[in-house]
Formats: sequence, structure tokens, C-alpha cells
Amino acid sequence: MDVSAEASGALEVRCRNCGAAVVVEAHLKTAECAYCGSHSIVERPSEPGREEPVLALPFVVERERAQALVRRWLASRGAFAHSGLKAAALENVRGVYVPAYLYGAVAETRYTARIGENYTVTESYTGSDGKTHTRTVTKTEWRDLAGRYDRYVADVLVSASRGIPNDELEAVEPFDLRGMRRYSPAMLPGWIAEEPSLDREACRAQAHAETEGSLGRWLAEFMPGDAHENLRFESSLRDEVIDLVLLPVWVSVAKYSPEKPAVRVLLNGQTGEAAGKVPLSATKIALAVALGLALVLAIVLAFAT
Amino acid sequence: MTEATVTRCARCDSPIERGDLRCAVCAEVVPTAPEARGDVAVLLMRCAGCSAAVTFDPAAQGLACAFCSSVMYLETLADPLEETQVWLPFTVDHDAARAALRRWLSRLGWFRPSDLTRAARVEALRPLWWVAWTFDVEARVSWTADSDAGSGRAAWAPHAGRVDLRFDDILVCASRGLSDAEAAALAGRYDLASGATQPPEVAGATAVGTAGAVAPAVMEQFDVQRSAARRRILSEIDRAAADVVAEEHVPGTRQRKVKVASLLRGLETKRWALPAYVMAYRYKDELYRAVVCGQDAGCVTGRAPYSVAKIVVVVGVVLAGVGVVLAMVAGR
Repeated sequence: MDVSAEASGALEVRCRNCGAAVVVEAHLKTAECAYCGSHSIVERPSEPGREEPVLALPFVVERERAQALVRRWLASRGAFAHSGLKAAALENVRGVYVPAYLYGAVAETRYTARIGENYTVTESYTGSDGKTHTRTVTKTEWRDLAGRYDRYVADVLVSASRGIPNDELEAVEPFDLRGMRRYSPAMLPGWIAEEPSLDREACRAQAHAETEGSLGRWLAEFMPGDAHENLRFESSLRDEVIDLVLLPVWVSVAKYSPEKPAVRVLLNGQTGEAAGKVPLSATKIALAVALGLALVLAIVLAFAT
Repeated sequence: MTEATVTRCARCDSPIERGDLRCAVCAEVVPTAPEARGDVAVLLMRCAGCSAAVTFDPAAQGLACAFCSSVMYLETLADPLEETQVWLPFTVDHDAARAALRRWLSRLGWFRPSDLTRAARVEALRPLWWVAWTFDVEARVSWTADSDAGSGRAAWAPHAGRVDLRFDDILVCASRGLSDAEAAALAGRYDLASGATQPPEVAGATAVGTAGAVAPAVMEQFDVQRSAARRRILSEIDRAAADVVAEEHVPGTRQRKVKVASLLRGLETKRWALPAYVMAYRYKDELYRAVVCGQDAGCVTGRAPYSVAKIVVVVGVVLAGVGVVLAMVAGR
């Protein structure tokens, strides 16, 4: 057996092409041989904590286009962004299959709300000229409404990777999930693929929270009448399904200033959408504030004199 | 991976078509029998042509070999063009269709020209199999609407409810040859049990008859893909549910802003080719179109001319009558 497991969970495997020793980290499924460049895929036995992906979305954006898109995103971050972004050196542009849980359920919701129905009233008033005039005024009549809202919830994605937190993944969503294929190791060579590192139950709880948010938005659109307020709802989610999928993400690190830490830019590997925490330039903001204050001062002085 | 034969979704009981990854109704992943893996396995993908190691190329969407530029494609998703499943036979022949048209023309009413049945000449008769879907589904429909029942100062009052509905054999027209109105008129007149799962022999052009040329039979095909068909059917279900709710479940006499959300179970869709005759007849130098159901000679829909003279006479008589009454009232 040419596989040996170390205590840290990393595996040392023999490259099937040239026989060299390759170390596969515990949280990865793939490794590139440093000597011959071939990509090995490691399939570990399924455990309760670590499962095999069911579906995967293949990469559509290739490396050169990803680099170009990240550079374009860095250059277009706005007037208050750090000036070093335009010329930032891109280190480490890597294509990673990020593990995520795909969640679906049946949502049964009870809601209550107050619905406003508009009606017009003609009223007379005394104008500034002393004569009586009439005008039409729109008023709202408020009524109580209670009901049920049942529907399927589908396509909720929650990151299962410690390295890519869920809010960063959401910044590059949406993915077009119609492009998903059944997971096959043939999608992985040449790419980095992570094993899930977050607990399934924690991800399920996160998915619940996302679903509650979506239900709030759907219910707000579902309300009749001309306006609504006090929309409250309670939902129970049953028949849940949660499957592990792999999502394509380009991860790059941009070093824009020698003193500051680099900024991580994520790019959706299917749609090319980029996201990251934009570092702002303190000097530019200070200058803008000073300019604004000076303008206000000048106007005040002009009116005072 | 071994594919377990799953025919119905475990959650919503809708049939799953071959090649589907997720249920079309509730998006649950179609399960497959998991491979039990005991050991760690290390895989390396090799090119079938030159044995070099290959990588997944996003541009090619498959495993591409850098040395001999051959590509091994991944199994592609099935999104095929929809194909007819059941063909219904014609039970009405050409002569019966012509006779049906004449019967229909004679029964249209008094405002048509009196010589319509006699003078109409059938110019063209084309047998057509037009395509449509039918669906059966159980839907739990949650609805909200404004209605005039219980309204106070405002004209509308809000209502909400939830109702279980069942739809059977609802027809969705997929035809380019017939309009939606014509399809709606023909729906319900077919014997859906008489279908065959093999396409019938489509006869070539028959001889020209004295009563009008018979054009070669046309067998329509579905020209949408499965994913587009599903979207259309799901939106038709929502529309049908909204119609039923507005008619029967929202209280009051007027409704507005009827919104529905449905939880579907057991959505079964079938794809049909339904027989009909498309006819063109000529009356006084103008062509009119009529469609006869291929299984029921009593079902005809189409356009027919109005008699302008008769309409003018009736309007004149009515106006004269009103004028006489007014004169009498004024004279008193």
C-alpha cells in the first residue's frame, strides 16, 4: 500500500506517474506532484464527519480570464479605495472547489400582519385666500390578516469550509445550479478540492437562518392590499435534505502595500463575479472630509458677509 | 457510480425522468446507491490516447490532454428536446370533417349570411397532429387576495386561506400550428385512453379531390427542451391554481391581487400528439380558417363571416322602434 497516514491526518502518497512522494493535506482531496506536475486525487473512506460530495459545479472561468477579472475588479473599487490596488501584485491565484452544503426543505409558515387598504376622501378646507376649497386625500384603513404559507425551499448554499466563511461565499453567489453535475473525480485534476471542515449540524443551523430570511422576503411580497406592517411569522421546516456539493471559486491574494496585510479576492468560478474586503485609503478620506468642510465654511462666510 | 433505479421522488412523489439530477418539483437530489469505500484510494486520470496525465479544462468542460490535445468529456446533463409519448389516432376521416364544417356553418346563428353553407368552398384540408402536455398534480395552495367581502371604508378587504386542489388532465398547448384559443376549444374532446405509444403511419399526399386538395399530414414536434417545458408547466399550474382560487375560494364578488404559493405533490406530465384537421374555406373571395377535432366531428372552431346587411337591418329596426317610442312620449 503506497499510502501512509501521519498523525496530523495528512497522507503521504506515491505519485502514480513518477513515483515521487506527495503529501496530501488532511483538508484537501487533491495534490500536485512537485516533480512531474501530475495531479492526484485522494478518496478517503466516508465517515460521519466527512462525506463524499454528491454534486459539483465545474469551473467555467479559466486562469487567465480569472486573473484579468480580478485585476479589473481591483482597479474599479472607487475613489476612496487604496491607491495601491490598481498596481497590486496578484499572488497565488488558485482555483479551489469549495465544499458547501446544499439545503432544501418544506416550509410551513403561519403569519400575521396588518394590511392597509387605501381609500380616497374629499374634504374641504379654508385656503389662505379665505375661500373654501376641496381636495382629495388618500387614507389607509388597517385590517388584521392571518394565514398560512406553505412552499418548498430549495437551493440554499452554506459554506462548509473553515477557510472560506459563509459571508464571503455569499458575496460571490449566486451560482447557476442548473450547471451542476453528479460529482466525479474527473472534475478535480488540476484544481484544489477541499474536504468539508465545518460540522454538518452547524451548517444546517446556518441554512435555517438563511431560509428564515428568505421567507420574510417572500411573505412581504405575498401580502395583499396597498401596504402592510407588523408582519410576523413562525415557520417549521420539515423533510429537510442536505447534500454536500463542490463550488468553483478562484482565490487570489493581492498585495497592494508593503506595510499592510494582503487583501483576499474571491472570484466566482462559473460567473466571474468578484468580491473582497476593499481596503480604504485613510488619506483620501481625510482629504475629502477636509475639502467638504472647507466648502461649507466658504459658503457660510459668503452668506455672513 | 451505480445508479439506483429511482422512479419517484421520495419527498414530493413526482416521477423523475431519466437523466434528472434533481427533482423538477422540489429540487431534492436523486439518490444513487453509495459506493462503500473501505480504503483510501489514490486516482490519477490518464489520457486515453497518449497516457499522459490530464487535467480538467474549463474551456473544454472535460479532461484535456496537454500533449495530444484530445478531450474526454464529462457525462453531460440531459436536457433533451421534449418528445411525444402518446399519439392519438384520427377517428374522423376527410369527408366526415368536411361534413362537420358544413354542419357547423349551418348552426352559427341568424347574423351570418343565409347562403353561407351553400356557397362556402373548402379550399384546403390538412390533417395535423398538434402537440400538447397534460399534467396531473395535487397542490396545497396558500393564497392571499383583496376582495369586496367585509370591506369597510376602503373598497377592498384582505383575505387569506389555504386549500388543497387536485388537477387532472389539464392541457397545456405546445403547438405552433394552432392558437391557444383553438387548442382550448379542442381540449376535452379527445379520448385520452385511445392513444398508442408508437407514431402512426403518416400517409403521403393523397389525390386531389373535387371538394378541395388534401394536404399532406403534418406531425408536429415539441420544440422546447425539458427544462423550458418544466418552467412552462409550473407557471401554468400557478395560473390554474390562481384561477380556481379566484373563482371558488376567495369570498365576495370582486377580487384583485390574487397571489398563490403552491406545494406540489405527484406532478405527472405526459406529452401528446393530438389529431385535428385544419381547414381553409372560401366564401365570396375571402379565406376563413376552421379547425375540426380529429376524434369528435361535433367539435369545430374557427372564423366565419357576418352578414352586414342583416346587422344593418336589425340595428335600423331597433333605432326606428326607439324613435317611435320617444315620439309617443314627447307627444303626450
